[in-house]
Amino acid sequence: MKSILEGEGEFGKDFADKLFLCNLCEHCTSVCTTGISLDRFWEVARAEARNRGFLPEPARFVLESVKSRGDIMWMGSADRLLWMEDIEEIVRNRILKPAKVAYFLGCNVSLKSQLHEVAKSMVKIMEYAEVDYTLLADKEVCCGAPLGWAGNFEGINDMATKNLELIKSLGVETVVFSCPSCIQTWSEYSKLLKEENSLELLTTSQFISRLVSEGNLKFEEQPMVTVTYHDPCISARVLKATEEPREIIEEIPGVYNVEMTPSKQSTRCCGGHGLLDTVDPVLSSRIAEMRLRDATVTPASRIITECPRCILAFDLAKFTTGYDTTVQDITQLVGESLSSKSGGVDEGS
Amino acid sequence: VKVDEMRIGDIVGADNVSVKHETCMIYSKDVTSLPELVYQIISPKFDVITQPVDVPSLQNLVWYATDNNIPLVPRGNGTSGWGGAIPARGGICVDLSNMSKILYFNEFEQAITVESGITWRDLLSFLGRLGFTLPVYPSSATAATVGGFVASGGLGIGSTRHGDIMKQVLGIEAVLPNGKIVRLGRVLLDEQSDTLQTKVDEGNEWLAEELTAVGLGTPEQEKKLITGTYGTLGIITKVTLSTIPNLQLIPFACSFDSITDLVNAAAKIVEECQPYYLRFLADNYTSKLRALDGKESEKGKFILTGALLDTIYQNEENIDRIQFITKEADGLALDDDRAWFYWDERLFPLRIKRHGPSLVPAEMLAPLDKIPEIHEETKAELRKSKVAIEGTLSNDGTTSFMVWILDDERKSVSFTIGWHRSFRIAALAEKFGGLPYAVGLWNGRHSKKFYGSGAFEELTIMKKRLDPENLMNPVKVFGGRVSAGRVSSSLGFLTGFFVALFLGWVGPSLLGWNWLAQLLNSIPVAVFPVPILLWISLVGGIVGLSVIRLMTLNQALFIGIPFLRILSKILRK
Repeated sequence: MKSILEGEGEFGKDFADKLFLCNLCEHCTSVCTTGISLDRFWEVARAEARNRGFLPEPARFVLESVKSRGDIMWMGSADRLLWMEDIEEIVRNRILKPAKVAYFLGCNVSLKSQLHEVAKSMVKIMEYAEVDYTLLADKEVCCGAPLGWAGNFEGINDMATKNLELIKSLGVETVVFSCPSCIQTWSEYSKLLKEENSLELLTTSQFISRLVSEGNLKFEEQPMVTVTYHDPCISARVLKATEEPREIIEEIPGVYNVEMTPSKQSTRCCGGHGLLDTVDPVLSSRIAEMRLRDATVTPASRIITECPRCILAFDLAKFTTGYDTTVQDITQLVGESLSSKSGGVDEGS
Repeated sequence: VKVDEMRIGDIVGADNVSVKHETCMIYSKDVTSLPELVYQIISPKFDVITQPVDVPSLQNLVWYATDNNIPLVPRGNGTSGWGGAIPARGGICVDLSNMSKILYFNEFEQAITVESGITWRDLLSFLGRLGFTLPVYPSSATAATVGGFVASGGLGIGSTRHGDIMKQVLGIEAVLPNGKIVRLGRVLLDEQSDTLQTKVDEGNEWLAEELTAVGLGTPEQEKKLITGTYGTLGIITKVTLSTIPNLQLIPFACSFDSITDLVNAAAKIVEECQPYYLRFLADNYTSKLRALDGKESEKGKFILTGALLDTIYQNEENIDRIQFITKEADGLALDDDRAWFYWDERLFPLRIKRHGPSLVPAEMLAPLDKIPEIHEETKAELRKSKVAIEGTLSNDGTTSFMVWILDDERKSVSFTIGWHRSFRIAALAEKFGGLPYAVGLWNGRHSKKFYGSGAFEELTIMKKRLDPENLMNPVKVFGGRVSAGRVSSSLGFLTGFFVALFLGWVGPSLLGWNWLAQLLNSIPVAVFPVPILLWISLVGGIVGLSVIRLMTLNQALFIGIPFLRILSKILRK
């Protein structure tokens, strides 16, 4: 890389395109015996590609979209309300309501219809546990993570600040994210968070695990479901949240987790991270197929994960491989396993 | 080397081949940095990178390379520093990391068969879930491949109880330099899914005949052919390794003020407790670990750390014993948290790299009791360099003594001059009855001593029979001709030219042969007004150039290293 920057090799379009064929899955960082943060290195190299005007077209589109629309897929703030269909009555009073907990959906969960169930399940869980929560709804904007992946570090802090100022104004103490990359981005690039570190950033599984241990969630016996938990790269390798989802699955009666190889911090990426799914969807899908094969050799009938990108990647791989399995977010599994509230109350009384 | 990318793409799959400059550059390096000058004697990069996904396509690739006289270099993940996986004459890089399946595991036989490109970390995590672990794995387990470590040999985690990796290899499958597939030792596979059996039978039969023809062929000799020879006699495709039950693991760590105390304690611990793993970190290593900032009892001290892997009762007894031995040797036993810290750090030995930022490794295998002396001598020898020393103990009374020389490759002159220091450590090993730790590319001069002269002779015979053109990982282990770069070629020519010129000029007058001086000054061809002396100098130049072209790597190092040493003395680097 150094010799190419120094002109020994050619830093052309071809080389720049290659820099974008990386998932930024943190695997190389986790196995590096020298402990160098190689992912940041790749991001810096991408920034160099951008400076030299060699940004691949899909990455350019994402940058433009985040800049002008506030999301990664050229939609608009009003579209961030679409997921609330059918549950308007429940969430109406939650929008921008001052509360202790904020639920940050992220672009994928807010805007992609196949992921709306994830948000609905999370709302169901928080309602069940009587959590004092708030939603940013159409005021939510992209967390800024895709900017870093596309080599634009300068923009990340602005995007994070837009969200964080709103969150702080609502008196929030804990932010729960459906997408682990948002947490990583804010922790690393938000000046506001670095200056006053009073906010707690949690993945859904970390939050749900807390609700479970506090006794706020009660589960119904499930009819012998065998699942396998896929650790999203950022949750496992950066946030080290590998035990919480497993503890949750363990708590649900009738649901059993079998491990894939590799798993936990050695997990294999789904192929959907770091803009790879937009820059080279075929390569991305091939990586997802590899991970799907890891799941097929287990007896599990369901893959559980906690990252919307993984769900999307597996959906594509299911299509390309013809392998039929259910892929769910951990919130969906928890949401559908909750025992009926009245039953719980009866038991209690 | 002329390579046909399309043809190779047909063999290994179009997605699994690349001739791009940057890809070739990345695959042409291993964990160390080399000075630019080195590329005057070895080629700077491969011509093509391939990633075969199965044995038949690898076999076809070997056939293609043999037919076209192209060198082949097998590569795991390049985590070694001995040059075993870097190009010496360009050619095809065979990256095996795409062949990484676990093929067979039987807990009753305590054996597992894997493809050679799987990383040790993946293998460990698979076994860990089933309640097993490996008797030996390398400290670079996070990235190193099974094939790479088996092909280069050495000590690792677990060696203090189980010795070097070779003892844990039950069997291997390899593609020989002529494309035959052989299985040596016990390669355990599920018979129903084994599609290569016919080819293997044919290959094994052929190899047996070849070995018998030269009076070799005991199973022991057979296995040694491919393991530990850096893929010079074949590319390893499958390995069957022994496994052990994952009993209770208890790490421990103690700190000492002197290396002598540490060695005394280590010798006793090995003898009385047979720990699974024992490693020492010298004061110059611990003083560079950032994670030890503020830890007065550890930073800048000598640390002995390791782990017990045994039953709960045995471990309880041994932990008490270790604490007693440590106290007796004036050491300080560290608490559990610190012990786990060092256990986790076992896979990150290069954390000191930031003090370089370049690393030049130098390592030897030496008797444990000589370590204090070797340590002193090394420090004296390398007093002008930044070094970090560590080592792993084996079960046979020896230990690896690893010297990381920290340097900065961006300062090209001092880095080039300083590069020879790693060779001085190999010379130190000789003085203290040790051996160089590994051979690879750079220690080819010590091959005979490393393998034992009898075994090396056998290997040389087989290399000639199996690979007469020296295409399989050329120059490694057995040495061979270098690929001369422009600078070294010009240097050879100029040296030859000026030596001839000088001799022709001064020689006759010294000898008092005036007739010769007159003859040399005469102009034989009137059209070109050039005296004979210059013609002779030109011939001298061509001879000089030919010498460079015909020179072997070992000869080049034999001349080059003392030259660098003299330069370093003059420049006081």
